Amino acid sequence: MTTTTYQPGEIQGLIKINASKCKGCDACKQFCPTHAIHGASGAVHSIDEDKCLSCGQCLINCPFSAIEETHSALETVIKKLADKNTTVVGIIAPAVRVAIGEEFGLGTGELVTGKLYGAMNQAGFKIFDCNFAADLTIMEEGSEFIHRLHANVKGEANAGPLPQFTSCCPGWVRYLETRYPALLPNLSTAKSPQQMAGAVAKTYGAKVYQMQPENIFTVSVMPCTSKKLEASRPEFNSAWQYHQEHGGNSPSYQDIDAVLTTREMAQLLKMLDIDLANTEEYQGDSLFSEYTGAGTIFGTTGGVMEAALRTAHKVLTGTEMAKLEFEPVRGLKGVKSASVSLFDTELNQDVTVNVAVVHDMGNNIEPVLRDVMAGTSPYHFIEVMNCAGGCVNGGGQPIEGKGSSWLGNI
Amino acid sequence: MNKKKHLFAEDSFFLSRRKFMAVGAAFVAALAIPIGWFTCKLERRNEYIKARSQGLYKDDSLAKTRVSHANPAVEKYYKEFGGEPLGHMSHELLHTHFVDRTKLNS
Amino acid sequence: MHQEHDMRPILKHPLNVRIFHYILLLSFLPLAATGLLLFFKPLSQEGMQLTYDVHIIAGIVMALDAVAFTIMAFDRVVQFIARVFSFSGRDVKWFMVLGGYPQKFLLGKKVPIPPMNKYNSGQKLFGACVLIGGTVLILSGLVLWLIPHAAPRDIVWFLGQAHLVSGLVLTAFLPVHLFLAVYRFDDFKAMMIHGNVPYHDAAEYTPLWVKNEIAPVATNGEQLTSK
Repeated sequence: MTTTTYQPGEIQGLIKINASKCKGCDACKQFCPTHAIHGASGAVHSIDEDKCLSCGQCLINCPFSAIEETHSALETVIKKLADKNTTVVGIIAPAVRVAIGEEFGLGTGELVTGKLYGAMNQAGFKIFDCNFAADLTIMEEGSEFIHRLHANVKGEANAGPLPQFTSCCPGWVRYLETRYPALLPNLSTAKSPQQMAGAVAKTYGAKVYQMQPENIFTVSVMPCTSKKLEASRPEFNSAWQYHQEHGGNSPSYQDIDAVLTTREMAQLLKMLDIDLANTEEYQGDSLFSEYTGAGTIFGTTGGVMEAALRTAHKVLTGTEMAKLEFEPVRGLKGVKSASVSLFDTELNQDVTVNVAVVHDMGNNIEPVLRDVMAGTSPYHFIEVMNCAGGCVNGGGQPIEGKGSSWLGNI
Repeated sequence: MNKKKHLFAEDSFFLSRRKFMAVGAAFVAALAIPIGWFTCKLERRNEYIKARSQGLYKDDSLAKTRVSHANPAVEKYYKEFGGEPLGHMSHELLHTHFVDRTKLNS
Repeated sequence: MHQEHDMRPILKHPLNVRIFHYILLLSFLPLAATGLLLFFKPLSQEGMQLTYDVHIIAGIVMALDAVAFTIMAFDRVVQFIARVFSFSGRDVKWFMVLGGYPQKFLLGKKVPIPPMNKYNSGQKLFGACVLIGGTVLILSGLVLWLIPHAAPRDIVWFLGQAHLVSGLVLTAFLPVHLFLAVYRFDDFKAMMIHGNVPYHDAAEYTPLWVKNEIAPVATNGEQLTSK
């Protein structure tokens, strides 16, 4: 028996260094949040799988394209698309729509939601916008936060400790799980939008699509390599469990059957001869393509917090925020913090909520966690994203040759 | 070191003053222009991240609905299927537990 | 026909040039060796780390050497640039007979070659390659060493290729340079020891230089008596 950081069935060693291309330049080490990359300067590097979060930051930042993914669902997805008995549901993450255009010659950051829907519809996908699931996440995670806050103010036990951490980012979740298990109670128990989308698509979605859940194949399109690892976690088969409890009888299936990165989706469209840049816009085919502005900003650092505050304000005070844009959590500063004072109608008193937003996790999270461990953290709610800038700069995004993820000083 | 003294040396003004300036300026420019270009690119290395974030903020500002609790599809989901946030169905489908990965064995 | 060899010394490589050349020599040889090792990566992790460290240290020495010489002897740098980038019909003729060297070595016969200035056409080509390649190596090396993570990815890749190509070209020049340097033993002694070439040698190989650019140095008793 040896120790491992993987549960049975989880994808291990997703990110690998190709020894024949590695120059030993050490660029990747600067981006690894867990110092999982070993190797002397000038020698071929390698990745410690047990430490690796599969975040892919090393992959997108390697100047010599020496870092690769070992798992691709591309072939499987193409087979499923050709299978008439299967409904393939494409679950589109927020950050994909502002990056995939780059692979088709459109400008950096160009918003192509309609074209992406159109191209994926043409390829045979049902459109399920993960932004819809992001809205669900806000409902669940926001309610959970208010629940914890109220319990905290009233001095009730067992409601879960503050600060509450967001749990959307699989790299961040795995970071806590492997390094700070004592802080796991602070993580919101809400699933990430990807996993909510998968579970909903195969339960409520089965009714909407009028399909047997076994015949629904969920493909999430993610700006993220770590989402592949997340989807393979054995506990994420809740749709199957739900159907078993309701009389189903089939072999177990995951909530998310396949994950494609933004790069892989672009590759898939190209293999199917679909030019996204010249595709007709498409509006979607079900309620699952209805999303809000709060859901879409999940893809950038501070977005989850901003979206949560919009809803929390409404729930706590009964009125909408006067100005929805919450500037203090926007931008590329490593740790952003803000205080929001509002009148809580349930408690009938003023409350001040201190929030913090952390991204570029490897460079910024440790001092924040130290405070939480010591009980001196001033914050009630902390958003954490692994990648610099949030999901828009995730490890699965198109690689922008003109840039680098390095936010720090030179 | 310089044991053997020389009787001849090259006339250090074999280049005209004008040509000296021209060659010197060309040399300095040939160094400075690429370095300047590179510095500019280096400073703009995060622009693509900002551009993508801007794209999402644009999507937000264009959206018909900008707050999650007002999404009619979300309302419909809870009404027809999910019940309420943190309810029984949410607990089953939308929440999870986490794993202490320092205690796993294979 | 046979003249007495005119041994009067002409200063060809002043002291600062010789010091610059020595430091360049002592830094470039380890750089070329470790550079090849870094490319093929035949050693263990510890061995590669040592190789890398030597490459960095020698690279810093070479960069400082180049910067210091450029600042302290800017006039010589400008003159060198003007020389190596000068071009005339004589260079074409020189390259057509390759300076007469192959004929001399392989056939043992002497062919007429066009008159040369301080550097012959081959030396000018080499000089231009060293000037451009050396600058590229130093600047790209700095980026690859210090900010491979922060500089834009495509630029780092391109600089990596440029570093490799420049390094290989200059390393390939090395054996040719060494062989011809020793062959031209008077010039070799001038660069490695005292800086002077005898008048007859300069007149034979670099007649234009002697004719156009060489002037007598004001002599005094002290200079003449010193040995």
